[in-house]
Amino acid sequence: MQVSFAQYRQLLGTYLAPQWRRMAALAGLLVIDLVLQLSLPRVVQGFIDSATAGVTLRTLVLIGTAYLVVAIAQNWTLVGWQYLAQNVGLSATNSIRADLTLHCLKLDMGFHNAHTPGEMIERVDGDVTKLGNFLSQFVVQLLLNGLLLLGAMAMLFLVDWRVGLPTAIGVVVAIVSASALTGRLASYSARERQASAELFGLLEERLSGTEDIRANGAVAYVLRRHIERSRTLFRTSVLRAVLGVISWRSLNTAITIGAIISLAVGAALALDGALTIGQVYLIFAYTNMLANPVEQLMRQLDDLQQATASIGRVQQLLDTQPQLTDNADGTPLPAGALAVGLHNVSFGYPDDELVLRAVSASVPAGTTLGLLGRTGSGKTTLTRLLLRLYDPTGGEVRLGGRDLRDVPNADLRARVAIVTQDIQLFSATVRDNLTLFDPTIPDAQTLAALETLGLSEWLGGLPHGLDTLLASGGSGLSAGQAQLLAFARAFLRDPGLVILDEASSRLDPATERQLERAVERLLAGRTGIIIAHRLGTLQRVDQIMILEDGSVRENGRREQLVRDPDSRFSQLLRIGMEEALA
Amino acid sequence: MDTIAPVHIRPSWWYVTRLMAFRPGVYLLSSIGIISFYLWPLVPGIFVRQIFDLVAQGATLGSDTHSTLWGLAGVLVGVAIAKSFSALAYPFGEHAMILMTNTLMRHNLLRRILQRPGANPLPPGSSPGEAISRLRDDMEHISVFTTWTADPIGQLLAFSIAFVTLARIDLGITVFGFLPLVVILTLVNLLNGRIRRYRKASQESIGQVTGLLGELFGAAQAVKVAGAEERVVAHLQRTNDLRRSAALRDQLLTNMIEAVSFGAANIATGVLLLLAAQSLQSGRLTVGDFALFASYLGWMAFVMGMVGGYLTRYQQMGVSLRRAVELLQGAASETLVRHDGDVQMRGDLPPLAVPAAAQRDPLAALSASGLTYAYPGTSSGIACIDLAIASGQFVVVTGRIGSGKTTLLRALLGLLPLDAGAVDWNGRRIDDLAAWMVPPSVAYTPQVPRLFSETLRDNVLMGLGDSEATGDELLRDALHRAVLDRDVPLLDHGLETMVGPRGVRLSGGQLQRAAAARMFVRRPQLLVFDDLSSALDVETERLLWERLAGGDGQVGDGLPGAPTVLAVSHRRAALQRADVIIVLKDGRVAAHGILSELLDSSAEMRELWRAEKDH
Repeated sequence: MQVSFAQYRQLLGTYLAPQWRRMAALAGLLVIDLVLQLSLPRVVQGFIDSATAGVTLRTLVLIGTAYLVVAIAQNWTLVGWQYLAQNVGLSATNSIRADLTLHCLKLDMGFHNAHTPGEMIERVDGDVTKLGNFLSQFVVQLLLNGLLLLGAMAMLFLVDWRVGLPTAIGVVVAIVSASALTGRLASYSARERQASAELFGLLEERLSGTEDIRANGAVAYVLRRHIERSRTLFRTSVLRAVLGVISWRSLNTAITIGAIISLAVGAALALDGALTIGQVYLIFAYTNMLANPVEQLMRQLDDLQQATASIGRVQQLLDTQPQLTDNADGTPLPAGALAVGLHNVSFGYPDDELVLRAVSASVPAGTTLGLLGRTGSGKTTLTRLLLRLYDPTGGEVRLGGRDLRDVPNADLRARVAIVTQDIQLFSATVRDNLTLFDPTIPDAQTLAALETLGLSEWLGGLPHGLDTLLASGGSGLSAGQAQLLAFARAFLRDPGLVILDEASSRLDPATERQLERAVERLLAGRTGIIIAHRLGTLQRVDQIMILEDGSVRENGRREQLVRDPDSRFSQLLRIGMEEALA
Repeated sequence: MDTIAPVHIRPSWWYVTRLMAFRPGVYLLSSIGIISFYLWPLVPGIFVRQIFDLVAQGATLGSDTHSTLWGLAGVLVGVAIAKSFSALAYPFGEHAMILMTNTLMRHNLLRRILQRPGANPLPPGSSPGEAISRLRDDMEHISVFTTWTADPIGQLLAFSIAFVTLARIDLGITVFGFLPLVVILTLVNLLNGRIRRYRKASQESIGQVTGLLGELFGAAQAVKVAGAEERVVAHLQRTNDLRRSAALRDQLLTNMIEAVSFGAANIATGVLLLLAAQSLQSGRLTVGDFALFASYLGWMAFVMGMVGGYLTRYQQMGVSLRRAVELLQGAASETLVRHDGDVQMRGDLPPLAVPAAAQRDPLAALSASGLTYAYPGTSSGIACIDLAIASGQFVVVTGRIGSGKTTLLRALLGLLPLDAGAVDWNGRRIDDLAAWMVPPSVAYTPQVPRLFSETLRDNVLMGLGDSEATGDELLRDALHRAVLDRDVPLLDHGLETMVGPRGVRLSGGQLQRAAAARMFVRRPQLLVFDDLSSALDVETERLLWERLAGGDGQVGDGLPGAPTVLAVSHRRAALQRADVIIVLKDGRVAAHGILSELLDSSAEMRELWRAEKDH
């Protein structure tokens, strides 16, 4: 796990620059903290010297009060900079979380099909949380405690160079070894973080499928998987902690031994009459003072190697670039219905066989195509190409006469609407669920869409109307009702192409028939592609295309295919009829 | 009603002691490490004092003062090295203990969640992503505090040793050192309510963020195709910002309590130093005594200051504990910390218990009466539903969307808690539906089946057949019956293909059939499935119905060996084959009987049938 200096600097620069005021205040308070910490032993030394010199109680009380003021001021300075540091850290990590989420959401579906939501929670939240301290405190703490260390050392040298030397050697040994250790330890941290991500990935997924687990008697199996993942986390985490303790403790010990020798040298010099006993106390106080910055530095270094692991993992996500480059400056699609053109389109998922083989077809603007085929024949893949979730391996996909690769993604997504079999609901208001957090859509439009879909009654039954919070996964909402909500999302936009992928498969026939008029309205003046297994759903389409193993088996105008008794479509109709008549 | 009865919650320390006892050896090591953290700083003081006294008396002593001095320095170096070795107690003690108790509690919570009615396993307002923050952060707070139980012992020991040592020098001065503790205890007591409130808000705001992230990444495709990436991230930013202010408030309060604690301790130290200085002047204390005094006092002040933070964290841990108990939803709160032999970090795990293959009570008849369930806070659900299924029968439930079809299946299977009603298996009342209506009695494929990020084989078997020699044959048969046998060779790595999160790498139809295979491979007495063929094409669906009957027979032909089936469907193929059709409307049975009768007698059935026929 190697993270270059430039990467650290870039990260700090990007997320701290906007907070420079807070950072300056933080640094200021830390300096005050440092000065106060350094002055405390001076006060005590003055106290001892005065006490042994036999000054009045009044003077002693004065010095004692000074000690108290300094000590309490230091406590509250600590409160102040901790607050600032936490604020800086939380603001910076929040920005990283947002940037990372946006980056990942823009990645290809291939990425999302390889990472579970639970794993992504750990990567976007867990990993980034580990950066909070690094971002807000590392540099400042490193500088200040380094200074404190140097200051205390300088004080020792001021007493006598022979007193300062042993501590200095200890510090140099520690610094040299620390820089060698950090990178090596980070790779163990990265393994721990990955084990954690996989554990929570497992949990999130299983919590989303409790019904399946429970009703198929797989509870013991799932619990076992949890133990297995927990054991992996245990192994990697303990290993990381052992290595961390061994490393940081030995560095700390090197400095401590240096300090002890410094004290002994001082005492020996005092025995020879070269130093006063007050000076020996000063040496003791300063060597004692080393403990804190050393402890702090070791903690920061331990944190750095964990942060390094996290930065590496964050960077790994940021380095993952979408294969599909967004031509943001391309010309937008023409207004109105969009003609669809498929020219020799081939496609295979990475490292996999071709799913589509040289598919050619055209759907004139304003007409509707019915797409048929066995499951796995490539129908859904074709819709994904039309939404440019993937680029074709060969050939080209055209919309409104333009190759999709030349169309800005934002424009494409605004002009193509899709309704699928499964709808994803958020724990948010009904309004946000329908508009997908778009505040520019007026409520009147949302209400009209629900009306068109016959959902007004459902809305009326909700306690707060559009402001009602929908539960995650939409519990309480039947799968059929959820499917109607997916339609509502499409109604709230003005697409030039509407794709219905098994969009009514969860509806009962009576409801589906009611929906027909709504669908007609949605498709009026627009191009449509309808994927359905139920042939009845395709009664109103202009054109039928049948896919088989990724190739076009049949493509033609609906009436023609119906009239031709040898057509595949006619055969399918007969199977459907037989079934109906059986 | 699905309301959770208030659960008795014991004082927080009770749960903590149960966790301590989970791995006593590890806990002991952890405690030794923590206690030594408090004691080590006291050791050098003793030798340092001797060094000072040596220096002070140096002139009067003989020539071997130097060797005595270096001897003392040698001892100090030895102490430093011993201290660094004792630090190894941390990873093997404290750190290991945290991970172990974390795992134990997560395991207990997961077990409980999976015992819950499967259709609403999480408390209201929670989601899988939100629950992650509880399973991660709240567990961590409780576990960490468990190891911290050794802190008071270390603090007390350190305090006593320092006290006795100092009292031997000067009792009067030393007694004064206890005063700040009184201040600290009073302060934390006064602020208890606020501490808990702030922590609760902070933990909940973290849950909001993880919940939203889980949903966003679970719906990545929907977000992308809607071009809503920027908008959902703006929503995330708002949630993030709430988390920031809640966390800041919580931490500021903690830091301020600590500052006041340390301040009180410092004041006491200052007064003590004053008193000590007088003794120094009067010659009752040597400079060595004073050095020891100063170094111990500093440490005593630090330890006392920590007491404030410690008590604050005890309160905060209590908040996490309550959040964890919420996930238990009605189970005894003690369940959270119940010891479980399966939670082993080392060694071989015992073989997985497979549901007994022996048929417990062959199904002759299943009957249900008065099944009632309403979704909390709504009037939607089912009411007073009776149904009867005889062995070998094919029963179809149909109705419009929102008529309660899925709710009926869930209620019957114990996946939703019944408000009223009862179910009898061969005439015997089933008390615990959720425990009974599982394989080998019943298996179920939900309307939107979930697969997991594992291989296809793992997804179908889900632990079954791991210990059975016949596993492979069972699997082949189940794949055939689910009409998935043709698809498997076409997949990347056949049965070993990783299906991706929630099964996304399979097509919709493949996913549905994989879930069906998962049901078939369990060979239950009763098959229950919800809208199984919604993503299947006409031919695949026909094959599925044929094979369901066991070859060329028909479902519901009443032949011996024909499976008993309860299905939700609108499809004509299903309705025609049904021995009994139950038509639901607005959560109640509108009609039941065979198709031909219903077409005569039920307007609702005609409506549903006509619509399907039109197509």
